[in-house]
Amino acid sequence: MFEQILFLLSATATIGFTVAVVGTNNLMHACMYLLGTLFGVAGLYATIGADFLAATQIVVYAGGVVILMLFAIMLTGGAEDKKNRFGIEKIPSMGSTKTYIVAGASVLIIAMIVLKMTANIHTANKDLAVASTGNESTVFNIGSLLLTDHILAFEISSILLLGALVGAAIIARPKRN
Amino acid sequence: MASHGLDVYMPIIILMAFAVIMIVGALLVGRILRPHNPNALKESAYECGEEPIGIAWSNFNVRFYVVSLIFIIFDVEGALMFPVAAVFKKFASIGLGAPVFASFVLFILILFSGVIYCWKKGDFDWVKSYRIPSSK
Amino acid sequence: MNSTIVSYLSQFEGYQKFVSMASSFLGSNASGYITFLVFFLGAFVIVNVMALIGGLGTYAERKISADLQMRQGPNRVGPYGILQFLADGVKMIMKEDIIPSASDKFMFTLAPLLALLGVLATFAVIPFSSGLMLSDLNVGVFYLIGVSSLVGVGVFLAGYSSNSKWSMLGGMRGASQIISYEVPVTLSILSIVLLAGGMSFGTLVNAQSGFPHEWFILHNPFTFIGFFVYFIGALAETNRAPFDLPEAESELVSGYHTEYTGMRFAFFALAEYMEVFVVCGVAAALFLGGYKVPFDLGDGAFFTHTLHLPEFIGKNIGQVLELGSFFTKTLVLYYIVIWIRWTLPRLRVDQLMTLCWKYLTPIALFNLVGCAFWMYYFEGKSLYVLLFKSAAHAAGAGH
Repeated sequence: MFEQILFLLSATATIGFTVAVVGTNNLMHACMYLLGTLFGVAGLYATIGADFLAATQIVVYAGGVVILMLFAIMLTGGAEDKKNRFGIEKIPSMGSTKTYIVAGASVLIIAMIVLKMTANIHTANKDLAVASTGNESTVFNIGSLLLTDHILAFEISSILLLGALVGAAIIARPKRN
Repeated sequence: MASHGLDVYMPIIILMAFAVIMIVGALLVGRILRPHNPNALKESAYECGEEPIGIAWSNFNVRFYVVSLIFIIFDVEGALMFPVAAVFKKFASIGLGAPVFASFVLFILILFSGVIYCWKKGDFDWVKSYRIPSSK
Repeated sequence: MNSTIVSYLSQFEGYQKFVSMASSFLGSNASGYITFLVFFLGAFVIVNVMALIGGLGTYAERKISADLQMRQGPNRVGPYGILQFLADGVKMIMKEDIIPSASDKFMFTLAPLLALLGVLATFAVIPFSSGLMLSDLNVGVFYLIGVSSLVGVGVFLAGYSSNSKWSMLGGMRGASQIISYEVPVTLSILSIVLLAGGMSFGTLVNAQSGFPHEWFILHNPFTFIGFFVYFIGALAETNRAPFDLPEAESELVSGYHTEYTGMRFAFFALAEYMEVFVVCGVAAALFLGGYKVPFDLGDGAFFTHTLHLPEFIGKNIGQVLELGSFFTKTLVLYYIVIWIRWTLPRLRVDQLMTLCWKYLTPIALFNLVGCAFWMYYFEGKSLYVLLFKSAAHAAGAGH
């Protein structure tokens, strides 16, 4: 029964905070609601038994990316919620009613097509899904896979992170004058 | 019961609820017990007894942003290294210690070259890197 | 394995009887509700004990600093002034709640909530004793690292939402200090995870044992240095002196909590003292053997089998011994943290960043490589085992 409660809490948190992120005018408030959304997603990972992924979500996203976003907002002066530097008075709205109707209808159609295509995969995996919640830890599986099957991906990811580090440092570095 | 494994997350949610209850409760109790005499001077920002001059944040030091970018990279590297570190012992006990050690050290060396790059380019210096080299 | 306080309790017959009584009373399987009740009570007790420790921490700080500065410290309220923190608490509740007019009210209230949340959520995984850990998450120490970054978000938010120059500067510096020092702390924890072979606190503590030569700090020279790297980094993460630039009293008035009065400030102070306890507790668990008692008295086998006490009493005496061991080690470290604060001068912000990125991070990376090499070459045996056990083997083989 706690599985349902955990899922309900995480799903409510994710959807509720996401709606708040999109609906608010203040950029800093949106960042805080994003923190709530990321915690909700971590809870969803925990519900399906991916405990390492939930912890990684909290460490990297809630602990790192949110702070990065807060610093970025401070750097670009987006914290003033009435006017930004160009004198525009409010954040431009995301479209009219027609936009939402078209977008909603296309989401429904695409979702139905995708679910139809993957329906046979879902029925085949239904037995697996029942057995996989519980006490087994994903950490050893992930670690072993990273060292055996996916070792190239492991090493290339470090090169990718090095590239990201150098690129970010070059772009964000203050100019010496 | 299938949710035995998930019971382990229950105390986390309970403790978070306690944090919220503590704050809300203390503030509510205080609302009853406290005096409430607002006046404009009390509610203005503190600037050592003077009127606050200017907006609060005029010059932002970009150093903060660069440091947070570097931190994110190291955070993700740490997150990748944790499962590998957790299984190292098992691999070493079945005799595969050498290849695991080699791949681990390769990962760390690539990470370390990033540290050296940032060091050489002065990302880790704070204000001092702005000193004009006049005496050299 | 995920084990919790409930799985410890469920090995006693009394608990099973209680659950079956409740089930027959409710008509359905009551174990879920009883689990929730046990967790709720455990969390309640832990939060209260930690809040008490936080309050007594303020008192201890004032007394110890008074001792170091050759004066008395609080000695009016209660015997030896020990009720001073209660008096301070009552004073803070009665103070007027001023929210600066230029501030963002929602964020102003959210900041201490985030700081408190970050600290309270770590209590779920702290290994108080082998049975009384609230939950032994498989990713325990990783989860702890993640949740303690919430305090950084809270600090930044406090600085930003007060909309005053002192607070903004203090909040920025505080957040960047916390995130910078997370890197050497994570790397030091990584080297211990490597040696112990798991991320859960149960695994980490069980890889050690009661005597100092079996602790991780004396396992190999790399972990010895790693302890100091972790300790310095964790000290910086909690914004304690000599790293208290964000709240630098002589420079920034009060840094990021300048505008916070009364109970709101009390939450920040409480969160800081509780976080120091958490950090010391993690240091004790990772490096100093955690709750392990010498001679393995902790698992109650000595009491149950040798002294022939009933199992319930024997195991619980073991748990109390383990609790005592953990708290002793943590409180000794807590004393050292307070001692350091009143001895060393404060670091400048560029010295802070230099220390973190140019000294601690390379040293922590070197420790990690060293521990990996130790694991590969010596198969993770500690120095004591290598030096003395091999000598005993050589002597024994000569017979």
